Amino acid sequence: MIDEALEHLVKGIVDNPEEVVISEKEGRRGTTLEVRVHPEDIGKVIGRNGRTAKALRTVVSALAGRSVRVDLIEADEAR
Amino acid sequence: MSEEKSTVARLEEEGDIAADYLEGLLDIADLDGDIEIGVENDRASLVIEGGELAHLVGRDGEVLDAIQELTRLAVQTSTGERSRLMLDIDGFRADKKSSLTKLAEDTAEEVKASGKPIKLAPMNAFERKIVHDTIQKIGLTSESEGEDPDRCVVVMPA
Repeated sequence: MIDEALEHLVKGIVDNPEEVVISEKEGRRGTTLEVRVHPEDIGKVIGRNGRTAKALRTVVSALAGRSVRVDLIEADEAR
Repeated sequence: MSEEKSTVARLEEEGDIAADYLEGLLDIADLDGDIEIGVENDRASLVIEGGELAHLVGRDGEVLDAIQELTRLAVQTSTGERSRLMLDIDGFRADKKSSLTKLAEDTAEEVKASGKPIKLAPMNAFERKIVHDTIQKIGLTSESEGEDPDRCVVVMPA
């Protein structure tokens, strides 16, 4: 549900929603959600002073009922 | 007149886009909530009433502010125009507004009686606006001082 919610939130605020890809990773420090977006959209999802990134983390953590890491990545970065 | 109409139409369109975005979120999270769309003070206004949405408000409205921010961006992405829409969930902002109005009225009384300015606790932009508006209605003046997140309102004698 959390990954789906994050996908919805991100797709609504980017110019290239079809290129949004979410992957979930379980690590020692809990869940991390990786969000890949079109390089032109990375500024939008981070926002001025990281404001949008912070808003995404706040909402996702609230829905999950625990702290969830959200990493925002440009889609063409090496994997 | 026609210009005014087009503003209302634009704000209603904002409300519709925002409601779609929010409805999608509620559906995915499997949360029940009715979304009411309106226009208030030249802004689109969205109110979600559900009853079990406290976690979407968060401590001091932190989560509510984040959802509002994202919803504004969703509208902007769709229309190309910045949005100043206001979102409320289960009356959080409405309650906040009445308690801040009361605070402003009480402070105005004190300032009138003493003739000395009073500095209030730090508030966000939404809260400061409620205080400024109330003080102005009463006929006193007020200013904001300092930088966010420590910016606060100073109420001054007329």
